[in-house]
Amino acid sequence: MWKTILRRVLIMIPELIILSILVFLLAKAMPGDPFTGSINPRADPAQIHHLMEIHGLYDPWYQQYWNWVVHLFHGDLGMSYEYQEPVVDLIQQRGANTLWLALFTMVLTYGIGLPLGMYAAHHEGKLQDTLVRVYTYVTMSIPFFVVLVIGIWIFGYALNWFPTSGSVSAQASGLGGTMLSRLDHIILPGLLGALFGTVNIVQYLRSEVIDAKHSDYVRTARSKGVPMKDIYRHHIFRNSLLPIAAFAGYSITGLLGGSIFTEMVFSYPGMGLLFLNAINFRDYTVITALVLLYGFLNLLGTLLSDIVLSIVDPRVRVE
Amino acid sequence: MSKKKWLTAGIAMLSVMTLAACSNNKSSESGAGKHVSMSATYSGPGKATTAGNNSTLKVAEVNDAPFAGITAPTLASNAEDQDVFAPGGEGNLFNVGKDYKIIDGGLANQKISRSAKTITITLRKDAKWSNGAKVTAKDVEYPYEIIGNKNTTSQQYSADYAEIKGMAAYHAGKAKTISGITFPDGQNGRTAVIHYSHMSPSMKYAGNSFVWTTVEPYEYYKGIPIAKLASSSKVRKNPIFVGPYKLDKVVQGESTSWSPNKYYYGKAPKVKHITIQVVSTNNALAAFKSKKYDFAAGGANSVMPSSQYPKFKKLSDYGIAGTPSMGYGYFGFNVGHMDTKTGLNVMDKNSKMANKSLRRAMMYAANVNAVEKKFGNGVSWQANTLIPPAFKDVYDAKNPGFKYNMKKAKSLLDKAGYKKDGKWRTDPNGKKLVIHFGGMQSSAATEAEYQFYLQQWHKLGLNVKMTGGKPMEMNSFYATLQKPKQTSIDVFLAAWSLSTEPTPTQIYGVDAPFNMGHFATKKNTALMKSLNNNKAWNAKYRAQQYKKWQRYMNSQAAYVAEDFSMAWSPVNKRVKGYSVAPTNNEFWSNLSLTAANPK
Repeated sequence: MWKTILRRVLIMIPELIILSILVFLLAKAMPGDPFTGSINPRADPAQIHHLMEIHGLYDPWYQQYWNWVVHLFHGDLGMSYEYQEPVVDLIQQRGANTLWLALFTMVLTYGIGLPLGMYAAHHEGKLQDTLVRVYTYVTMSIPFFVVLVIGIWIFGYALNWFPTSGSVSAQASGLGGTMLSRLDHIILPGLLGALFGTVNIVQYLRSEVIDAKHSDYVRTARSKGVPMKDIYRHHIFRNSLLPIAAFAGYSITGLLGGSIFTEMVFSYPGMGLLFLNAINFRDYTVITALVLLYGFLNLLGTLLSDIVLSIVDPRVRVE
Repeated sequence: MSKKKWLTAGIAMLSVMTLAACSNNKSSESGAGKHVSMSATYSGPGKATTAGNNSTLKVAEVNDAPFAGITAPTLASNAEDQDVFAPGGEGNLFNVGKDYKIIDGGLANQKISRSAKTITITLRKDAKWSNGAKVTAKDVEYPYEIIGNKNTTSQQYSADYAEIKGMAAYHAGKAKTISGITFPDGQNGRTAVIHYSHMSPSMKYAGNSFVWTTVEPYEYYKGIPIAKLASSSKVRKNPIFVGPYKLDKVVQGESTSWSPNKYYYGKAPKVKHITIQVVSTNNALAAFKSKKYDFAAGGANSVMPSSQYPKFKKLSDYGIAGTPSMGYGYFGFNVGHMDTKTGLNVMDKNSKMANKSLRRAMMYAANVNAVEKKFGNGVSWQANTLIPPAFKDVYDAKNPGFKYNMKKAKSLLDKAGYKKDGKWRTDPNGKKLVIHFGGMQSSAATEAEYQFYLQQWHKLGLNVKMTGGKPMEMNSFYATLQKPKQTSIDVFLAAWSLSTEPTPTQIYGVDAPFNMGHFATKKNTALMKSLNNNKAWNAKYRAQQYKKWQRYMNSQAAYVAEDFSMAWSPVNKRVKGYSVAPTNNEFWSNLSLTAANPK
């Protein structure tokens, strides 16, 4: 097992190098540069030219790439051209916001999805099952940005129950007050994300449980007189979690990706919005850092999924 | 102000249109379109109350991205920063009069000596930072060190600063200090004298490109390398200010909160707390409807979504106040190239758009007024000249501009030899003529506007197509136009926003890289020089030359203003004393509230 993990980690190194070169080249291939559009009475073209020079933006791409790699090994991802602060600090600020929201959403999603999936499967073919399926189809078929807009309009603006902008109130003070304010700001987007994002979990779990219910080992257990409650807990549930476990690795690492829709609608400064703005304003340092981070997280997610899967299902362990 | 501010203003200018309802139209004798009349001030009914003034004034920063969080005016490069840190006074040195002329009574007074070629800036005796430290002459000089430093991250340095003696050497890294800025009573004194090699009448106005009009706290920043100033905590987390409020808290990218600065020299603010929070453009209307905010930040530079103006106007608990914007949309024609060796724009006699009859015909046929009537809501209207009406003294109100006249347009082309050959006209040599129009991606209304212009030009018999077949992404658009020589775009629609001093050399000058159509004539250069020559110290002469220049530019039609607009904001009826008039130098201190929450 450890050998497998080590091998996978070693394979990640060339993958990341290739990814970084591709990202660097693609970012540079986009039209414009971080100073494109700086057209106003207070932006002197000569000064912009000077800034381009001191940032090395006229250097050949391989030289820029090499400088970037050298800095990377010193833990320096560069300065954001747009925000004029270290990219590491920027990712920390936005990453923390995204992480809070994503964790909260994920806990709610699994908290809602797992019981619903079990419940539907338990009542297979009955009214309860139909209702759950209708719920999942409805939530799946409504575009998420529509949900967000309607949600913020009803609960944020019309009923005034939740904050509609930002990640924390400007007036929040003290650790407790700040934490509560943060929680207040993520309840509505988190809840909407969870209520309308459970379809995969519910459907996977439901079909797996139904499959397991009709399997031989369950029939055997039932014939031995094992109570259904115990069968569900000890046999069906664990086996049915396989696809969800496979999915979990990606979910965890996907947390940092952020949701552009949610962040835009709620003016929530997270990673998604950061990435979008970095592309719009050709903030190369931020673009390359984020794509590399996402690439790394994806590779890590695959690895984690495999590890989780091998823990849950000994049959898939690689020798 | 740089990229994002001006771009936002620019793109907003282009998309400032949606819906009809031109109520309160005011007719005009000029070629400018009709527009709503709007007061720059608003005061809600009733008297200000203690409960109101002790509550929190809620200001919306309408923007789709988090702000960068740079408090130093020398380093900030977007409008959002300027807006969210405005209650701190933005380090402003001077008060201004109705035409943005610098007047006495602010943090400092300015005295111009044309004979000695100096500007003497004298700080008031009670000038203090919000940490209680005295504002010194060095604080007046330090911005020049920041913007001119060889390793600075500031975009603000311009060639005009090189008129300060010793500045060029400092900027090149050959001198450690700027020899042309002296302190008669020491750097901790109250006076700084700036020595110039050339004086300009524009120096009388705030926003000129010779005198930096804010202070930076030298003692407070001391020890931080200028290259690292923008990312330092003293600039981002614990800044100090000279204005009526001090910063209590900044949530990076999201909001700022303020309370009165007890060291402020001016009128004491009445409202005890202010919060300014980012709200996305799409949510702005809903947020104001649910009374979450008192008004929008930005003042004369406000970029409120004008497409929603009629809906905002219907909000019964809000009044609307605004002022003519300092920006405008414009058509530009590609008539030459930039000579990279000399750095000068050169007109190409053989370029596709070189014939001014062709350019003028296209402008007469465009029917901008119809577009504005359809989409402008009365807050955006057809422009008649390249100086916006915000600059009352120099704006050529009677300029006829390019009122729609298809007959005249056709006649101009016929006379110039652009004959019809089938559906389309050919050039005077009988060759096929295809004109490429470049416009930036923006709102659906703006894209409909592009299609309307194409349709009008087609009616004229000109085969005009969009470059690439569709509106261009902003970076592609500017990357194309900013090439020294390009042939993909023949005519384009862009936007320009001025500072509070309207000298146009930076966009239309012979050596201006922002002169993206490369229009350059001897007469244009001479007229622009006359705007700031020795005679131009006389305001009447200066205004007259500005008007001559505007007439000349329209006669050449290499650049033609498309639309002007209002910078406006809804203001809740609990607010008293709101005024975005340039003469209101105590914007924040003049505000008071009649209730504890927006009504």
